Amino acid sequence: MATEGLAAPVAVAKQRSSWAETLVGQLLALLASLGIALLAGSVLIVAYGESPATVYSSILDASMGSADGIGYVLAIATPLIFSALAVAVCFKGGLFNIGVEGQYLVAMVTAAWAEIELGFLPGPILVVVVLLAAMLGGMIWAAVPGILKVKTGAHEVVTTIMMNQIAISLVAWALNFPLKFSNAPPGQNVDLRTDQFPEGGLVGDIGQYFGVTPGAHLSWLLFLAIAAAVIVWFMMRRTRLGYESRAVGSSPGSAKAGGVAIGSTQLRLFLISGALAGLVGMQQILADRGYLPQNYVVFLGFTGIAVAFLGQNNPIGIIFAAILWGVLSRGEVALQIESEVPREFIIILQGILILSVVITYQIAKRRLAARQLQRAGAAGELDDSAGPDESGGPRGPEIGGREAFEAVEGSGT
Amino acid sequence: MPFTDIAVALQISFTYFTIIYLTGLGGLFSERSGIVNIGLEGLMIIGTVTGAFGARFFTDTLELGLPWGPILGLLFGALCGAIFAGVHAVATISFRVDHIVSGVVINLVAIGLARFLSSAFFNGQSTQSDPGGPHLARLDIPLLSSLPGGLDRAFQSLSPMVLVAAFMVVPVWYALNRLRWGLRLRSCGENPEATRSLGVSVPLYRYQGVLLSGAFAGLSGAFLASEVIGNWREGQTLGLGFIALAALILSNWNPIRLMFFAWLFGFATAIPLRLNDAPVISALPPQFIRMIPYIVTIVAIAGFVGRVRPPAAAGKAYEGGGGT
Repeated sequence: MATEGLAAPVAVAKQRSSWAETLVGQLLALLASLGIALLAGSVLIVAYGESPATVYSSILDASMGSADGIGYVLAIATPLIFSALAVAVCFKGGLFNIGVEGQYLVAMVTAAWAEIELGFLPGPILVVVVLLAAMLGGMIWAAVPGILKVKTGAHEVVTTIMMNQIAISLVAWALNFPLKFSNAPPGQNVDLRTDQFPEGGLVGDIGQYFGVTPGAHLSWLLFLAIAAAVIVWFMMRRTRLGYESRAVGSSPGSAKAGGVAIGSTQLRLFLISGALAGLVGMQQILADRGYLPQNYVVFLGFTGIAVAFLGQNNPIGIIFAAILWGVLSRGEVALQIESEVPREFIIILQGILILSVVITYQIAKRRLAARQLQRAGAAGELDDSAGPDESGGPRGPEIGGREAFEAVEGSGT
Repeated sequence: MPFTDIAVALQISFTYFTIIYLTGLGGLFSERSGIVNIGLEGLMIIGTVTGAFGARFFTDTLELGLPWGPILGLLFGALCGAIFAGVHAVATISFRVDHIVSGVVINLVAIGLARFLSSAFFNGQSTQSDPGGPHLARLDIPLLSSLPGGLDRAFQSLSPMVLVAAFMVVPVWYALNRLRWGLRLRSCGENPEATRSLGVSVPLYRYQGVLLSGAFAGLSGAFLASEVIGNWREGQTLGLGFIALAALILSNWNPIRLMFFAWLFGFATAIPLRLNDAPVISALPPQFIRMIPYIVTIVAIAGFVGRVRPPAAAGKAYEGGGGT
């Protein structure tokens, strides 16, 4: 875009102020969308004949009012941090990995396979091997769309959608054939599942050290998730790969001219994203269940996309966004017990929140881009119709979508 | 292998064809107008819950009986699908949110909204309704349903909606290729700037395309819930919205070719249900057969076989006219 060229030289002098402006803009947009969601939620609550203040405070009380509540919230947030990070890593490079869903399903299969086949290994080594197997599973599943994107130009959105569907069948196959339980679990032999994993292959409960009930299944995977967020932040800000991927994400043309190997950068991002996605299901099978059940929790990958938007693709923002999501999810319990409002209200609230986040960020970004453009001396030319390509605000997804299917076209010629 | 098994598999494939084709047509209208719609699955989900409710409500509560109750139920599902697609339309057209982002959100929100609606519709049951809802009388297709050798089974006791879907290709093809409306809709998807310069409102046509996609996907969902299964159950769409998307891509966004791929994928879905004992197939786990449509699609978009060319402007933000 021409505007990139115009904005760049001026940006050197004004970098700090525009950076701060972006942050404030994002925060305002986030607060505005939270406000919209809570307001819309209030309307619903009133329609059910209850007081919004009571309902909201009971939600907060259930999630943040006790050590147990906080434990549950953090346990819910753990897989979401991994999946949102997986999404964000690709966003930075202008790629839209909506295949996190399939990647973590496959990873659960490879992890379960490692648990059962390598169960003879001593505890800590087994856990490490299992986590590596999970990351490898996610990477393999992410490599397919990555390689196809780089080699043939097949658009990653379409391929990852298809890979997600294939993964669902793959899990069903694994549970029916190679990993099907050999000795039926007592009492509940109707459900298809794998054998129980060896005790040493499970991740330990850390809730007990903080006075949290074991029922929350709070595990040290939370610390792993936070560490992953810090590593991703460091990688994006301080390493060559991070720099190159941001370059590819914001302007593939300039990146190429600057000597960045676009294909290899994109493929590496996909692999890192897949590795992170691989860890999404671990809380579920290693901390919560201790086996891979047929009724595994789905949609963690898609929810991760929502959390990534909420956290603005910023690794640290993602941690808080995942906790916010957990607070709302945990609030269901309060609604069930104390209120006439159905528990599905929470999902509606989350839905409205994410819709308003998407829209307000879009508006905020355009405003911001227009303002920064104006300051750069190009006012009037593009004005408010500054396209989504301009600097400022969240980057990744728009670029991914803007070129949606273009690559497919190119591949035909 | 007896012919009857093939015939029954064919009969099932017609039902899946109906679901996939109707949803695929929805995607066709949206993408031909320039708005990528990966939210088809979510739109279908809304169709299933509202369609199942509508069939019961119009038939039993309003005592309209057959066939008007089920028909209105189907239309109610289509209407609710269109309303929900309005969210995608507003986000992508008016606010210029990325199409993929909005589509993902649509799919995500649909599940929660379906549970919420379900608990409101069906006395607090959030994941299913009572089985055995009203549906249209089944019909045998004349002539074909008296074929010899067991093949008659394929054309017996089909829902009338199968015929509606099959003949839908005529008005859709005509509207897209022979009416000024269709020409304009398609040009919005190919070259919105040129379209605008002719004095045509691009957002207006895109809104129509997206709302139509919701109506078709909603109709398809309503058909699945009330005509095929008989009640609403969470997760009953089973990724058929994504299969429809796959069929749409392979069809090159063409309603006639879409018929073929919708039927082919419908048949692939029917195989594990009915043809388990056939040679070759019996050696494969049924889960692998379910993967076929998706693998074929990946191979096709990777350009290994044939070529697919989507509408040129699909997925791109359009800056001129309308919007914020």
